[in-house]
Amino acid sequence: MSLAPPIRLSHLSLYRRLAIWLLLPLALLAAIMLVEAWLTSRQAADRAYDRLLDAASLSIAEQVRWQQSGLWLNLPASALEMLATDAEERVFYALYDVHGHYVTGNRPLPALPAGDGEPRMSYADVTSDDMALRLGVLRARLEGWDRSDRFEVRVAQTLEGREALASQLFRASLVNVLVIAGLAMIIVLLSARIALEPLTRLRRAIRERDPRTLSPLTLEMPRELAELREALNELLARMRRVRANQERFIGDASHQLRTPLAGLSARAELALRQSDPARWREALVTMDDTANRASRLAGQLLSLTRLNNPEAALDRERVDLVALARGCVRNTFSRLHRRGVDLGIEAAPRTVVVDATPWQLEEALINLVDNASVYGATLVTVRIETAPPRLIVEDNGPGIPESERLLALRPFHRGQESGSGTGLGLAIVDSVARAHGARLTLHDAYPEHSERPGLCIVITFCDA
Amino acid sequence: MPVASLLTVWLLAPVPAPADTLHLVNDAADARPLVIYGVLDMPQMRPLLADFHRRNPDVDIVYHNLQSIELHARVRQQHARPEADVLISPAMPWQFQLANDGLSAPLETAMASAWPAWARWRQELFGVTFEPIVMVYRRDLAARMAPPRSHAELLERLEEMPEPLRGRVVTYDPRLSGAGYTYAVEDARISARYWALVEALGRSEAALETTTSAMLEGLSDGRYWIGYNLIGSYAQSYVNAHPELEIVVPRDYALVLQRMVMTLRDAPHPRTAERFVDYLLGEPAQRLIATETSLGAVHPGITGLGTANALRDTLGDAIRPVRIGPGLLAPLDTLKRQALLEQWRQAFDNHPPEPSASLTSTLEPTQEPASP
Repeated sequence: MSLAPPIRLSHLSLYRRLAIWLLLPLALLAAIMLVEAWLTSRQAADRAYDRLLDAASLSIAEQVRWQQSGLWLNLPASALEMLATDAEERVFYALYDVHGHYVTGNRPLPALPAGDGEPRMSYADVTSDDMALRLGVLRARLEGWDRSDRFEVRVAQTLEGREALASQLFRASLVNVLVIAGLAMIIVLLSARIALEPLTRLRRAIRERDPRTLSPLTLEMPRELAELREALNELLARMRRVRANQERFIGDASHQLRTPLAGLSARAELALRQSDPARWREALVTMDDTANRASRLAGQLLSLTRLNNPEAALDRERVDLVALARGCVRNTFSRLHRRGVDLGIEAAPRTVVVDATPWQLEEALINLVDNASVYGATLVTVRIETAPPRLIVEDNGPGIPESERLLALRPFHRGQESGSGTGLGLAIVDSVARAHGARLTLHDAYPEHSERPGLCIVITFCDA
Repeated sequence: MPVASLLTVWLLAPVPAPADTLHLVNDAADARPLVIYGVLDMPQMRPLLADFHRRNPDVDIVYHNLQSIELHARVRQQHARPEADVLISPAMPWQFQLANDGLSAPLETAMASAWPAWARWRQELFGVTFEPIVMVYRRDLAARMAPPRSHAELLERLEEMPEPLRGRVVTYDPRLSGAGYTYAVEDARISARYWALVEALGRSEAALETTTSAMLEGLSDGRYWIGYNLIGSYAQSYVNAHPELEIVVPRDYALVLQRMVMTLRDAPHPRTAERFVDYLLGEPAQRLIATETSLGAVHPGITGLGTANALRDTLGDAIRPVRIGPGLLAPLDTLKRQALLEQWRQAFDNHPPEPSASLTSTLEPTQEPASP
């Protein structure tokens, strides 16, 4: 079974759309013009031939007299002759007196309602004995000394002459309309093609580009397409920035990973030259620490990549911030406690629910807490607020100067060269916040201590 | 009905033969019948019908030779269910009236389209013969005066010598003869001096007859010397047999009447009717008309004696065929007819009319005598 594919308007080419939307009204217009031309031709033919009815009935009316006891007509043959044109119409005439009585004629003809005012002549299309006739009725009055009776002269002819003239006039208009419509059609199609030509150029230019080239397009384009070109160029610019970021990220990441690996290698080499097991042990402890850091760095890189992957499916669920924070604190408390960091939590004894991906939130929270401890805080407080739901981590560390806070969100930026941070923590938190449509703000925790103002990081969620 | 009352005074057939019938038989089962009503005497019609039958042996032809009064009365009476297929009549106004009323059917053949425009109307009504209206005089008239060769000369003779011609000129009585009425109308249309001629005829107490044959017989008897407005076709065949008579086609103008042929719209046998009319318009039939009859052929391709072409060659512009058109309807108008006849009567009687009485009396149709 072969069914024609359904026509989908959205798939129509621009050229066809233009052609259809210009040609349809054009055809409609032409049709209207033709109908109008036909009516006009009919009217013109009727006007021309009604003159004959007019003249013939006048010429008959001139011969009407009062004689003895009634109307008298000396019918002029010329009156009948003038009714018949080259089309050899059948002609009929009749004389009626004021009471509508047939006086003479060659066929009884119907009366016409007299219009308002004083139209001496009225016309109508009538049918008599299956014959279509154009009837003209002249209302006249005897012009004599003694009598001024009214009477009616009715004359009629068949329609051959009118129809011939009407169709002749119509044919002339038809040719005109068709020629005009044809020209208009050609112009429409040509102009549609010309108007769409820049689009073809644009397409060709895009297709011919090296896929790795992200330089802006510089084609000369009409205004509408120039906007499209600008939009494309903006997209290209964003892609350039993204690629630059990625390249820098990859460079930074390699650099960061190389440092601990080089350290490991150097430490191992040094230890191998010695034979004292105590030194070996010392070296192993250091290497373990370095390996942990490298492992953590790799973990964070992985998280960041996962977070930044736009194709990662987001499986959101209802998450209770309080429970989540308590879990995290429980898990990290002992680790921090060993480093001499006091970790606490402040939360109302009820649930604060947001739409979120739990592992991402945990990642963010752990990074925040770790970050604080790495940069020398001794007191870290996790706080949950409601309305709007907020996740707040406060520490009493050195804080970040206001001018560097935006930079601090970029990967591998470290507030201070000392310390063992990877420089990825805040970047991860930022990514998570953005993935959740939440707002990330940084400010001083203790603004009154200008030496050590601490840092307060707030993630404000939208109201669930 | 005005038409009917007019028809009661219409009679063209100069030899009002009894309504005779010609039947050319084909009694095969699949014979195609054809019924013709005509005002055309057998001697003229027979060769045409015989030739048509020879060419179309499958047609069973019935020809009714009628007087025109009867022909039109029958057609009007049968109206929507006619018995006849084809009508042939020289009563042009009446034939035109039937066609104008839509009783005729168009003939869509090449022959019909090629037929001269002056001899047809709408491809429905065709003039197939060409019969001049003529004067006939006795040859011994030449001893007394130069025989008139035109209307003007006739008027001249009547005015110059009314006494010798008193009662010796004969013409149609338009009050009693439809043919005479038609010629009076046409004469009056063509020349304003016609009324002077009528007055001169009245003064010389011209005799009034109702048929061409009555006039011809009067001329042959010697009762009349000059006959005015006779149907040429009948006069020709009569004069051929009567050498004491001479025929004159008037030089100033000669009226020409035509036998009008039409197919009836509701003809019972339209196919054979079309074949017959088409045959009449064809060269073979027209050649027969020219050679075998005294009617005069119309076909432009045929020349020689007895054709319209020959008549035109000798008389040139003087030939005035009765125009086939709505003008023919005017004389049929009751009031028009009364007015014209009243004018004619006044001119002929040379005295003013006594209004009502004389008017009605002249309009009382008089029955045509059964034989001349």
